[in-house]
Amino acid sequence: MYDDFASPWNIRLKWAYLLAVVFALLMPVFYTIGISFNQHGFGARIYEFTFDWYRVVLGDTLLVVSLKWTLYLALATIAATIPMALLSAKFYKRTRRKVGFVALMLSPLFVPADIMGSSLLVFFKNLARGFAWLGDALGVSWFDGWFDLGFLTAVIGQVIYTHPYAFIVILITMSRYRVQQTEAARACGATAWQAFWHVEFPQIRVGVFSSCAFVTILSFNEAVRTALLKGGFDTFSNMLVAQMLNIGMSGESYAMAGIMSIVSMLVIGTVIVYTLVRAERLERRARAMAEPVMSS
Amino acid sequence: MTESAAIAVEVVELGKNYGAVTALKSVSFSIESGQYYALLGPSGGGKTTLLRLIGGFLRPSAGHVYLHGRDVSHLPPNRRPTSMVFQNYALFPHMTVERNVAYGLKLIKVPPGDIRDRVDRMLSMVGLEGYNRRMPHELSGGQQQRVQLARSLVLERDILLLDEPLASLDAKLRKEMCLELKRIQEKVGITFIHVTHNQEEALTVADRIAIIADGELVEEGTARDVYETPNKRFTAEFIGDNNVLEGTVSHTSDTRVALDLDFAKVEIPARGAALSTGERAAFSIRSELLRITGRGEDMGASWQVVPASYVEDVYLGLTVSHLVRLPDGTEAVARVMSGDGDENRFEPGQEVAVGWPTDRARLHIA
Repeated sequence: MYDDFASPWNIRLKWAYLLAVVFALLMPVFYTIGISFNQHGFGARIYEFTFDWYRVVLGDTLLVVSLKWTLYLALATIAATIPMALLSAKFYKRTRRKVGFVALMLSPLFVPADIMGSSLLVFFKNLARGFAWLGDALGVSWFDGWFDLGFLTAVIGQVIYTHPYAFIVILITMSRYRVQQTEAARACGATAWQAFWHVEFPQIRVGVFSSCAFVTILSFNEAVRTALLKGGFDTFSNMLVAQMLNIGMSGESYAMAGIMSIVSMLVIGTVIVYTLVRAERLERRARAMAEPVMSS
Repeated sequence: MTESAAIAVEVVELGKNYGAVTALKSVSFSIESGQYYALLGPSGGGKTTLLRLIGGFLRPSAGHVYLHGRDVSHLPPNRRPTSMVFQNYALFPHMTVERNVAYGLKLIKVPPGDIRDRVDRMLSMVGLEGYNRRMPHELSGGQQQRVQLARSLVLERDILLLDEPLASLDAKLRKEMCLELKRIQEKVGITFIHVTHNQEEALTVADRIAIIADGELVEEGTARDVYETPNKRFTAEFIGDNNVLEGTVSHTSDTRVALDLDFAKVEIPARGAALSTGERAAFSIRSELLRITGRGEDMGASWQVVPASYVEDVYLGLTVSHLVRLPDGTEAVARVMSGDGDENRFEPGQEVAVGWPTDRARLHIA
């Protein structure tokens, strides 16, 4: 039988291959980041390290405002998506029709971004018109402006987009959790909320925080849906795409791309490192406790 | 509703439907305080549903649950005087043994010093002294169930519900834990309601047993009654190793019923059954009461004897099962202790006689 551990070179080669693939995939990103720190920009023969392009981006009021809007969008999306994803994952644990439920939850992922964005655009336009008609019919102005394109419609678009990802991440961390644990807590006298907070949440906390990080990154990286649904404000991605389309890639564009890449990698990296360190710490603790109990 | 203080649990016409599926059909019974009560039956029969209705984990579709005379049918689990031990997976995996056991006490704000004392006392009772700081995944299956037991008992509730608590343990550990559960119940003196599909487990621990099948309460009685003198045919077929034979009533008197088995006529104690001639009826005899002899050998006047042919013997360690075939093709089993000298006495195909003490057969109408 083939022994996977017969030669250490087998393992080394596999790791080398894995790292080479990851490096190849990330190469364009690193290249872009590299250019963003070059005083002379793309295509120059001379490389002079500088933060100037980043200073320009952060000194541009329009870009800073778009960053703020993106942050607000991310926070609003987190506030809506995470509780929804948590409830969905809890429901998944209890339902017997798991395959159908997962297919339903993941279905937004199978619709291309531009199709989903334009469908929502048409839907919201008609919805706004319907509410305006309702207001007119009732003789009130209270319904005017509901579902006009703006922050709310952009958030709804983002929630539909990010919910499947958050659902999956939380579900993965729920693997250790069993419904019987909640029932056991109830049998010990806990209310439904106490059972959730004391027993269920500590086990899925990592998943919830990871989902928050993930949703934030997706909000910063999304351009198509927000471009169609945002109404009167711009997100950072919208600004970057608009700049690329209108004036091509400038040193400023590379710096904007650099900011997004570096922030994304930092967030994800932090989550991974935290998770690994925590897992290692828990295992060390478990090993220490597993020492045989000695009689005195 | 009776107000007797001695009754800990009373269920009245309790039913549960899941859409068109009926899991429990109008079940009624009561359990005295301090009793060890087993709900025994085949898987999918409704016994866990019944236990979960008593514990408040399900809302009844019909009927009521009374605990110490109080209607709790509408109350959630945390507001009932019950605690529960689950089959498995129910320890809180992120908490140590000590925190698991202390959880319920913290909820009711018992002072920390008292919590420590009570947790230590309870861990000692279930034989887990010194395991306070272990995590659940560092414990064996049996130890995990002991922690669950400690977590439930430390709350000092009046009624403990056990949902197949030993089902995931191996046979040896299950036997040990059965005796342990019985010992603990006698020590704490509270009411235990234990769900199991394992008859040996139920007979070991229970003062009384209720047989639950197809969502119905088939029969209820002491462990000895249910085993030795089952009223219902289902009980006879489910508990112990019984031979069930059918025949037509040929004659009845106050004390006996004569049944025609087509190949022999036998007499069965009537036990007050209202049967008329020509009616079909069944009776059961436990396999350890069945005796096999050679044809023509006299078993005595108090025995019923029918002809049979010997099939084979099966060695089961403690016992040997002798299989015979009756003239109508029905197979019957006679069980004897290994080493009693009856082994290998007959050859396969040999004509034999099978008999049982007349008074030990049980007549079943339903």
